[in-house]
Amino acid sequence: MSARALRVTLIVLAAVGIALAGYLTYVHYSGTTPPCSIKGNPCSQVQKSRYSELAGVPVALIGLLGYIVILGSLLASEGERARFATMALTLGGLGFSAYLTYREVFTLHKICEWCVGSAVLMTIMMCLSVWRFLRGDVDAQARAAQALAELDGPQPDTPAAALPG
Amino acid sequence: MSQRPGVDLDDEADLTRKQRREQAREQRKALEEEAASSAKRKARLAQLGIVVAAVVAAIVVILIATGGGGTKKVAPHSAEANQTVAAVNTLIGGIPQSGNTLGNPNAPVTMQYFGDLECPICKEFTLGALPAIIQKWVRTGKVKIEYRSMETATREQEVFKTQQIAALAAGKQQKMWNFIETFYHEQGEEGSGYVTESYLRGLAQQVPGLDLTTWTSAREEPALANQIAADAQAANNVGFTGTPSFLFGKSGEAGKKFEYSSLTDPSSFNEAIAKLLKG
Repeated sequence: MSARALRVTLIVLAAVGIALAGYLTYVHYSGTTPPCSIKGNPCSQVQKSRYSELAGVPVALIGLLGYIVILGSLLASEGERARFATMALTLGGLGFSAYLTYREVFTLHKICEWCVGSAVLMTIMMCLSVWRFLRGDVDAQARAAQALAELDGPQPDTPAAALPG
Repeated sequence: MSQRPGVDLDDEADLTRKQRREQAREQRKALEEEAASSAKRKARLAQLGIVVAAVVAAIVVILIATGGGGTKKVAPHSAEANQTVAAVNTLIGGIPQSGNTLGNPNAPVTMQYFGDLECPICKEFTLGALPAIIQKWVRTGKVKIEYRSMETATREQEVFKTQQIAALAAGKQQKMWNFIETFYHEQGEEGSGYVTESYLRGLAQQVPGLDLTTWTSAREEPALANQIAADAQAANNVGFTGTPSFLFGKSGEAGKKFEYSSLTDPSSFNEAIAKLLKG
């Protein structure tokens, strides 16, 4: 996967995350009930529980801001720092999602589809961004290899060199 | 094109030397690049490790700050039990009770609270928005609250019946709400099987003035089991699927389903009550 394709994939995922967290933020402030296919609408109960806020700030809003900052790091000019920032932010996001999932499963004993969706999205983004960070600037490496090959010119034993002049 | 074998041999030898030098240079360059790339990879892995450690530390801090989750069993007459008794007494002491109802029997508005004593979300409501509702509307005689049973969180039907009947039996001595409040205050980890006979007895011992002999015999009354069945039917009739769920209405009339906006902020409840009182 090229660096560009990977970055575009992450940008799309971050945009999906913004839409998802944005909707949950709207649900929190408007007091509406999010649609949920699970019997008993546990999504509503989770969204209205005390764990829907952290230090008075809705967790949906924290998620929204997180996705926006991740998108910002992806739109910044490609470089080691930007890749590190995306990796660190998505790891932080995954940690936060893990905390919320723990609260859902072990404290509230409810599962919210919307929260699970966000957690899955963040997990995919974290995996991709860690991979992107660890492999470095693959395009630059490819460009350097190509430049080196061009500088070296055709080798004597290559078919091109063996052609009659 | 003429052939000059001597020159060609020299050229070939020269080319071979050049090629060897070139190859050696490339090998050295490749080794250097490999070493640099390996150092970079190690540095990135170290950075990744630091970030992972920081994230784990942050989660632990958040978990500690927001509480561990479950609550432990409270021994009757312990300092913690005394605190609960005091808190419950401050909240509902002096408010009339009759069976499953808390509040003035002639209150113009009735709120029906469908709950499961083991439901952690009901605990959130009971310890969150409910105290403000009681303070503002029940204590002033404008609203009465009927607690009705609906099985959601309790995994075994028999345990559900036993615990809800234990609460209704306290209602026979006009102390059901003391029992309910104490249960929610000291609620254990859902699904951990904490609701045993000794647990229920321990709760009953924390209800001031509750005669344990009368309470024990009242638990056998078939009317209480029938009440649980009637509550389940009522919840089913209005289509409730989760707890807590609520019906609001003018006293004496059929209640309407109420959608709350928060379990901890009483605003949506206040609005609904104010509307009913005006109408």
